[in-house]
Amino acid sequence: MRVTSAFPTGVTALLFEEAAARRSYEAVATAELERSGFAEVILPILDYFEPYSALVSRQARDELYRFVDRDGELLALRGDFTPMLARVLAPRAESLDTPLRVFYRGDRVRYQEERVGRLREYYEIGGELLGVTGPEADAEMLELFLRLLQLHTGVELRVVIGFAGALDETLAGRSPADSAEILAAIARRDRRAARAAGDILLEVVRDGAPETREALGERAAARLGELERVCATVGEHFVEGDVSLAIDLAEFAEETLDPKVSRSAETIPYYDGFIFRAYAAGTALSVGRGGRYDQLFRRLGADLPAVGFSISPDRLLRSAGS
Amino acid sequence: MMRLALPKGRNLPTTLEALRAAGLGLDGFGTNGRKLWSTVVEDDLEVLLLKDWDVPLYVEYGVADFGVVGSDVLDEMDGDLLVPARLREGGCRLSLIGPEGSLPAAGAQIRLASKYPNLARQLVASRPWSAEIVRLSGSVELGPLLSLTEVALDIVQTGATLRENGLVELEVVAEVQPCLVFNRASYQRHRERLNELVRNLEEKGQVI
Repeated sequence: MRVTSAFPTGVTALLFEEAAARRSYEAVATAELERSGFAEVILPILDYFEPYSALVSRQARDELYRFVDRDGELLALRGDFTPMLARVLAPRAESLDTPLRVFYRGDRVRYQEERVGRLREYYEIGGELLGVTGPEADAEMLELFLRLLQLHTGVELRVVIGFAGALDETLAGRSPADSAEILAAIARRDRRAARAAGDILLEVVRDGAPETREALGERAAARLGELERVCATVGEHFVEGDVSLAIDLAEFAEETLDPKVSRSAETIPYYDGFIFRAYAAGTALSVGRGGRYDQLFRRLGADLPAVGFSISPDRLLRSAGS
Repeated sequence: MMRLALPKGRNLPTTLEALRAAGLGLDGFGTNGRKLWSTVVEDDLEVLLLKDWDVPLYVEYGVADFGVVGSDVLDEMDGDLLVPARLREGGCRLSLIGPEGSLPAAGAQIRLASKYPNLARQLVASRPWSAEIVRLSGSVELGPLLSLTEVALDIVQTGATLRENGLVELEVVAEVQPCLVFNRASYQRHRERLNELVRNLEEKGQVI
């Protein structure tokens, strides 16, 4: 048999310096998480496929590596940590001592189309704060997320922040299919489509948020006000230039809370509160993301509000830090 | 310094005209010349000249921060790019072409030649006939002309090539325009500058 060093598409080995760099970041990141009161959970790499059919979008489900084992069970490799964590904790939610702060690290495996930077086996470190709702908890997690990213010293971060359902009220009265199409166009920053759908949406595409927040509707305006306060509070703790926070509702336009629109777009909404994503100089893909997903536990019958994030150390370490 | 990816094919002259109208100098770039990568100090830009099909990849992977590429290529490749505007000039059509009267009848089973296998599959899925997609990389018109296939799905600009070869445009499938595209991360890092470019293009009537 001929032996080659090639791995399947989307899978890579980290050798020597790269392995040392990941482990070194992992050590400081987990130490910071522990210092911040987070306890580690270790989740299995294999699980049943079936529980995820109601928890994740059709695309995420299609991307799971699944197989039938010798017992005839349909199993899946871990495609994401959070739904698995929710599945583990939801049945024991009532006995949990909240607020609960947990973190995890490890690989998730998903079939992704062959594209540079999009690995099929993907390492991440993440944290979750369970059992607390409100802007203080959101701010705590955003701040921790930024602290962890800054452990890669010298990295310049642009963090965009929004919230799920921000544009739902502005689309009221439209058919679900129309709304899904408009939201996809806004996420692509298509100005012509946004202009055709109304001046407010054009402002969102162009500036990230409308000049007058009330234009988004009563509920969204209140959420936006809350988000601005979270940004201001968190922003105070970081040096301007190293970290810039920007509210950008277009970036997360497709995170609708309208179930009819979600169904039309064949998605299951993941986030239901504030959402954030971080970009670093020198990388084309985000180095981390997070947000609030109270409904994930609710779908499993547990009333356990949750906010969390995940970081890709490998992408972060490839960014232009010092 | 940001990096711009330009298509070196038929869309280059109209793209340069639009970008210059929006305030970029792009000195030294024309339809001639073979330089593939240059720095334009006055515009604080590095400019790459690429094949149309490569522009979305370079921009999506962040090698280039922004670029211009036809909507036909974008639709075929389905990448994760921001597409803020379509340029006014340089448009053409994506059409079903073949000999006069060769539009497939309901229930027909044919062969269809195209450089756009994904778009061809989408088209066939919406029609009452079925087709085997034959992927060609150039001179797609030869497919129906030499009976390799019954019809072809291809770009039609003036229709002169079709007329010269005894073919006709059986049906316009989509209007095609050059599109301005941004890398998602680059947009967040250079938001002010890229928004200014789009605003200038709009003010100068260069976008639809």
